[in-house]
Amino acid sequence: MLTKIASRNIWRSKKRSLIIIAAVSFGLWAGIFMTAFYNGVIEQRINTAISSELSHYQVHHPKFREDYEIKYYLPEGRKILERISKDSQTKAIAGRVIIKGMIASASGSGGITINGVMPVEEQNLTNLSKKIIKGNYFNPNKSNEIILSERLRKKLKLNLNKKAILTFQDSEGNLASGAFRITAIYKTVNSPYDDSNVFVKINDIDSLSGIPKEINEIAVLLKSSKTLEESQNSLKREFPKLEIQNWKEIAPELGYTVSVGDKMMFIFMGIILLALGFGIVNTMMMAVLERTREIGMLMALGMNKFKIFMMIVLETFFLIIAGCPFGILLALITIGITQRTGIDFSQYSDAYSSFGYSSVFYPSLSARQFVIMIVLVLLTAFVSALFPARRALQLNPAESLKK
Amino acid sequence: MKETVIDAHNLSKIYDEKTIPVYALNKVHLHISRGEFTAIKGPSGSGKTTLLNMIGGLDIPSEGFVEINGTNITELKGNELIDFRLNNIGFVFQSYNLIPVLTAKENIEFIMLLQKRSKQETEQRVLELLKEIGLLDKINKRPRELSGGQQQRVAVARALAPKPQFILADEPTANLDSVSAENLLDMMLKLNQEENMTFVFSTHDQRVISRARRVITLEDGKIVADTAPTSIIHEQTAKI
Repeated sequence: MLTKIASRNIWRSKKRSLIIIAAVSFGLWAGIFMTAFYNGVIEQRINTAISSELSHYQVHHPKFREDYEIKYYLPEGRKILERISKDSQTKAIAGRVIIKGMIASASGSGGITINGVMPVEEQNLTNLSKKIIKGNYFNPNKSNEIILSERLRKKLKLNLNKKAILTFQDSEGNLASGAFRITAIYKTVNSPYDDSNVFVKINDIDSLSGIPKEINEIAVLLKSSKTLEESQNSLKREFPKLEIQNWKEIAPELGYTVSVGDKMMFIFMGIILLALGFGIVNTMMMAVLERTREIGMLMALGMNKFKIFMMIVLETFFLIIAGCPFGILLALITIGITQRTGIDFSQYSDAYSSFGYSSVFYPSLSARQFVIMIVLVLLTAFVSALFPARRALQLNPAESLKK
Repeated sequence: MKETVIDAHNLSKIYDEKTIPVYALNKVHLHISRGEFTAIKGPSGSGKTTLLNMIGGLDIPSEGFVEINGTNITELKGNELIDFRLNNIGFVFQSYNLIPVLTAKENIEFIMLLQKRSKQETEQRVLELLKEIGLLDKINKRPRELSGGQQQRVAVARALAPKPQFILADEPTANLDSVSAENLLDMMLKLNQEENMTFVFSTHDQRVISRARRVITLEDGKIVADTAPTSIIHEQTAKI
């Protein structure tokens, strides 16, 4: 009977109920969609960072990342590389010689990271050739080729087939330099990365840097992110003297982005739910005040406080539940469409790029987040129902019947 | 000797006790026996509704107490009092006060369902009452689809459904036209006679007063007369 009264009461003031149902739908839609959007932004940044820049984990000499000194290369690095490549979880792996140095042209110079890469392995790992906008990927038959970014090209006023001079300290601390011909120009979504990274073939740089056939970095991409911790720990046990760091440890700011993203989601949802909660409290409070006489009558007839309380709570719940399907459906449709088309912010691409983000985002939402969202809305409904329900309980039947 | 159903002792209701006390009821003693058909009359503000509220456990007296079938309801609190009302007292209000979202049938069965009576018993009683009040054809009508008289009949049936100790009716005919009022009174009188149901009315309506077997007159919160209706009519005639 309580359920019957509560569900029918919803439609006593159709306009008011429809407004609150619309508010619930909109709130739920906004909450779910904004969470999915924010997820998409974070996922895109992390995926880009993992697939193009950091990989899942990297192996270094424990002192290498302190100052990026070439002398701290990986002892027997190529054997370690071979060993990890045989791991069933490894999707792609590449060895590198990483050198902090200078690039110079007739028009200028700048500090950069020289990535001495294994062309085939690097292609498998970071898909470097896909980022090339001009020229061709490394030719195995040519030496001293360099791939630099469009931003560096503009800064140094260079062009394809022109030469750039790389200067750095070799493993002995002596100044070494070499001329490299520009074979390709690349562009990523991350402009700080583009500003500071050039690629040369490892065979052209290892001798010049004084560590022939050696590598000072191994980057590993796994088949699944889920096995990262397991793979990293197993490798740590096998090579206790090496520094094996996952992407969150290499770039803590990215790890923070994830945790900040989660917090942002809760803050954003909190604001939406707070507004929704106030709307519900207001509507239900009005409903209680309008029905003071009726509630008084119910109390007079013998409906106890718990049942009065439950009637108001149920009524609020039904209102919310009526709004939920529309909100969920709307959110799923919006996410479905934007997942295919993406949300294009090209006009702000420079701004996004300077933070390492693409200007097209693809919203994504996990089942867990979806459930959390719905639970939060229902929880809000329950909490919001408490105030009007409490107000109803405070009514005196004799006084209420006079209204 | 007739069984006492309502026993009000020294009942007072005082407003603004700390400043200038206003007595809505002033030391009222009242005994009502089973099967009585009693009207409480008096001018507006004489304390009729206050007295009914006290007897029905809807209001707390400032002084005195009310016993229903030997239970001091003034000592009952919260849900205990609500449960007592549920199981012992039927209410009929001036403006019907049916639950607008329920049908006539659902309104009548409402209290029985609160009492957790069986579905079968409830169904049987509701149909019996609907037949009694002549609204079997309006079983699935909501209050807004019924006339005032019909709504009040449903309200009486609702009060009767759980077979309470007595029914308190606060000006039940005040909003009814004369035909509906007569019909309602006939019906209540019949229930009183056939089921020995105790009725206590507060009223201004001469039609109610003339049919009551006992009439209590309140003035300024005090009982000034407690007589049979014929003598009241005589009193009034004498005054004229």
